[in-house]
Parts: sequence; structure tokens; C-alpha cells
Amino acid sequence: MNYFKHIGDYFLLMLKVFARPERHIIYFRQTLKEIENLGLSSIGIVTIISIFMGGIVTLQIHYNLVNPLFPRYLIGVGNRDILILEFSSTILGLMMAGKIGSNIATEIGSMRISEQIESLEIMGVNSAGYLILPKVIAVVFISPILFILSVFFGLIGGLIAGPGAGIITVIQYLDGVQYLFVPFYVKFSIIKSLVFGFIISSVPAYFGYNVKGGALEVGKTSTQSVVNSSILILFFDLIITQLFFK
Amino acid sequence: MIEIKNICKSFEGRPVLKDISMAFDAGKTNLIIGKSGSGKTVLLKSIVGLLKIDSGEILYHDRNFCQMNFKERKKLRQEMGMVFQGGALFDSLNVEENIRFPLDMFTYMTPNEKRKRVDFCLEHVNMSKANKLFPSEISGGMKKRVAIARAIVMNPKYLFCDEPNSGLDPVTSNTIDELILNITQEFGITTIVNTHDMNSVIEIGQSILFISGGEKCWEGTNKEVLNTNHEKLNDFIFASNLSKQMRDTLK
Repeated sequence: MNYFKHIGDYFLLMLKVFARPERHIIYFRQTLKEIENLGLSSIGIVTIISIFMGGIVTLQIHYNLVNPLFPRYLIGVGNRDILILEFSSTILGLMMAGKIGSNIATEIGSMRISEQIESLEIMGVNSAGYLILPKVIAVVFISPILFILSVFFGLIGGLIAGPGAGIITVIQYLDGVQYLFVPFYVKFSIIKSLVFGFIISSVPAYFGYNVKGGALEVGKTSTQSVVNSSILILFFDLIITQLFFK
Repeated sequence: MIEIKNICKSFEGRPVLKDISMAFDAGKTNLIIGKSGSGKTVLLKSIVGLLKIDSGEILYHDRNFCQMNFKERKKLRQEMGMVFQGGALFDSLNVEENIRFPLDMFTYMTPNEKRKRVDFCLEHVNMSKANKLFPSEISGGMKKRVAIARAIVMNPKYLFCDEPNSGLDPVTSNTIDELILNITQEFGITTIVNTHDMNSVIEIGQSILFISGGEKCWEGTNKEVLNTNHEKLNDFIFASNLSKQMRDTLK
């Protein structure tokens, strides 16, 4: 029953979030700030993780498919498709749920317990819209960009690790990366990253906005929001995959 | 003027406010006093609409707040200013941006006009040179003063202060009281202050409502409060030995 109450409350909050803003220009400026705070600050960690992820996937494909009949360039094909279809969208989504999600839940939760949200309400500001909408727009906007960056750096990681470990030449790897490329996979993953972006921003915002108590509860809420966002990301990954590949 | 009539509020069946009525006059500092947990904050939050009351009426110059729709409430709230217990300043904005926030949100003033208005409010709270400081860089008393400046920046008709002196030393506490009194009288605002600070009661209690256990127990002025025979109020006001001795000496 409690779960259904959360779902109901979540949708009611979203109605408030998507209400008409008081001043569009202020919301726009706030959105730019959030793009910088939440999105641009994530580029570094996305780059590092993607390079290692691409390198590891490249090595794993080779070690698990040792066969003289297996053309080496297929390592590049495998790395590319794995990155595009799952790693750079889903794994990145899970990672962002931890980084961005906990940031959003903690920020909004702290504002709640220090009465800053009440203060906005007293001024006549739609606190849910002002605090959450710019974050949602920013994260949804930045998610596909981070996905594309992640694929790019993942492929670079493979390019470093594969030839570096002597399992494939640079030419073979680059041939593989370009071989049998299906543009639909990119479109599919961009759609996924948009959905994940919405989950990563709105679910922690819901938890932060409704926090009650003190600093301890804000910490708990942050953890709770990351766990729930991660579960929802995997759940929607399953549904979107089934919808697009049936 | 704000008038509350027969306000009742309960949480999960537990009554917190029981049939409270009172009129808060404009141009006066109206104090709500009572022990911790007596329902002061719940009453104040109910009056401003942060909590929904179970029954009763709240009238802002004869406009019934309880019967207003979302848009009407939003409009009325632009006539309100509130100082929260901890100041509730926005951490990510500096002092100037905090005070300017309502102006940015609801007015079409030019940047120069906004700057002048912010400076005017900061001067009123004796914080003229603090524009660029962040809330984390100023003291508790300064936070309260900035919160007062933010609360008056829109020229409110109604000012609400929730324990503005809590956690402050007596000198700063006096300064805050004086500020509230001066602003109330200068701008003719209807001010309601929640407090359990006895100094505030004596200094600025032009109208006092004493509540205990969620019930209205007594109403009067700071002149009457010292001479009342109301047992609960006397227990509250003269709770310390020092204050009892002072009362006996005065008598």
C-alpha cells in the first residue's frame, strides 16, 4: 500500500513540477546553472569510467572468444555494440543515479529540513517547479550528450587496451568498430538515456522534497533515492528493450 | 488586520490546536507565546497556509484565506513576509541575491531599482556592507537580519516571525526585537511573532496571545502580562527563580 501511495504522490508532485513557471527567464537561468552543476561536472567521471569500461570489455571479449576461426576485428564490433546498447546507456545511467541522484536528493532534502522550501512557498513561488523542473530539464538534456561521450571514450579505451595488450592491431580494431554499424542502436540508446535522465532527476527530487526530520533522514533519503532510481532504470531498460526489439 | 476564528488542527487524530480565535491588529507587534510544544509554530504555519486547518476561518482584512483558490492564495502570499527560526536563507545565493529573489520573481523592476531596494532593506537591518556574503559566512544574528530584510523587500502587509530570537545572545536578541517593532510601526504591517523569549514579551508585546496545550489561555498586552493572576501564564512567565524574585521585589 505504501508503494502505491509513493506512486500517487510522485505523480502529484510531477503535476506541480510541470505547472506554468512564474518567470520563464529565471527558470531558464536556473536550468543553465543545473546543466553546469549536474551535467558538465559529470564529464570527468564519465570519461574515466568509459575509458576503463571500453578497455575491459575489449579484453573480456578476446579472453572469452579465443578461437583461430574468430576474426580479430569482431572484438571491435563487440565492444562498439556492447557500449552502445547497454554499457554507455544503462551502466552510465546507474552510475549517474548515484552521482546526480544523491546530489539532487541531498540538496532538496537539506532545503526542506532548513525550511527553505517553506520560505519559497510563503513568497508565492511554486517550490516544486522552481527547484525540480530545471534539474529535470538539465539532466534529460545532458544525458544523451553524456551517452555519446561515453561511447566515444569507451571506444578509445578499447583502442588503448586491445592493441596495448597485443590481442588486436589498431587497423583491425578500427575496422571492427566501423563494421556492420546499425544506426538504430544509437537511436534506441538515446531514447533510453532520455528516459533514464528523467528517472535520475525526478525520483531523487521526489524523495528529497518529501523528506521529514533532520540530517540523518536526509542521508537515508539520499540512499533510498539512489536504490529506487537504480531499480527503476533496470525496470525501464527491460521494458524499452522488449518494446524496441520484439 | 488578521483575524482567526475557531481554528482547530490535529495530526493523526491528536488535537494540536483547539478552537483558537484572535484578532491581530495592523501596525502592532502581535505575539504568540507559550511553552515549547504548545502549538505556537503549528498556529503560525496554519495562519500562513503552510498547514491546512481542520476547521475555522482565517481572515486577511476580511478576505477568507481558507476559501481562496490556488491563484488567490499565491497572490495573497506576495503580501506576506516570513522570518523562519533558522533564517531559511538560500545557501546557494549571497545576501543580495537572497533579498532580491522575490523582486526577480514577481516584479518587473530594472536592475538598478532592484539594487536600490535591496540596499534600502539592508540599511534598515544595519547590514549595509554585507551584499556579497554568503549565508555560510555570516553569524546567526546576521542571518536573522537578512531574513527580515528579505521578508520586507516586497513591502508586505503581513509579517510573520517564528522564534526570531532563538539561539541569539541578549544583545542581538534586543536588536532583532527593535527591528521588528520599528518595521511594524514604520510600514503599518500586521506582524505576528512566535516567541518564548520573555524579554521580547516585555519589550515588543503590544498584543499577546498565550496558548497552552493547543488552547487559547490568555490575551492582553505587555503591560497586563506582569500583573495578571492567570496561573498558567504566571507559571510560564515566572518560571525561573530569578524572575520570581524580581516579581516579588517589584511587588
